[in-house]
Amino acid sequence: MTTIAVVEDNADNRLLLQALLADRYDLVEFDNGVDALMGLSTSLPDLVLLDISLPGMDGNEILSRIRADDRLRPLPVIALTAHAMSGDREKYLSAGFNDYITKPIVDETILIDAIERWLAKR
Amino acid sequence: MTSTASNAGTTELPATDPDALARLERFGGRKLLHEMIALYLENAPGRLAAAAAGVAAGDPSATENALHSLKSSSAQLGALKLSRLCEAGEAIARGGSLTGIAELLDDGRHELRVVEAWLAGVRAERAT
Repeated sequence: MTTIAVVEDNADNRLLLQALLADRYDLVEFDNGVDALMGLSTSLPDLVLLDISLPGMDGNEILSRIRADDRLRPLPVIALTAHAMSGDREKYLSAGFNDYITKPIVDETILIDAIERWLAKR
Repeated sequence: MTSTASNAGTTELPATDPDALARLERFGGRKLLHEMIALYLENAPGRLAAAAAGVAAGDPSATENALHSLKSSSAQLGALKLSRLCEAGEAIARGGSLTGIAELLDDGRHELRVVEAWLAGVRAERAT
């Protein structure tokens, strides 16, 4: 089964993503950047859902390290963020994220469509 | 400044959104709804306290992080007014200031009590 890594510090958001995705994908979860980078190297998922606002190492820094790693570089990484300010989408895409999903999640098909779109491109 | 920041979070929009709870139930049934409510009620007071600690320590970054988490969780659960209060404080902290956030947190603590009562009612109403 396809494996998706979820990097999200809020337990309630992780629970919600489990409810939405666990029937379709294997999920590996991390609540901080250090654990995520170590775990991504060992689990080598098919795609990463990456929260931007994390304590310590934030999502932008995690993405930079993913893109600097030869094995992790090709991973599709979708930003998950509650910032949702005007211009954010362009900012995150230009930073190297493959896609951008805003929280709260209101329409789950937007999330699943984005995941499927990027999995299909692998 | 304080008044403006506070007003930014307390416009005449709905305080709570029952549709958000119906959505959670659609996503994962009553089990998910109850688990999300339980996690929220467990974590929200600590996030407000962490934001207050950030203000007391003169630490905009810690304050921003705590308010961001509570904003996100509140929005997902339909606690819209509390989410807006957090968003107003988060915006101030992101700019490197803490001015007015203590007052927003006072409003936030009051609003959290409203949300707790709302969610307690939902839990009782949808107990099975």
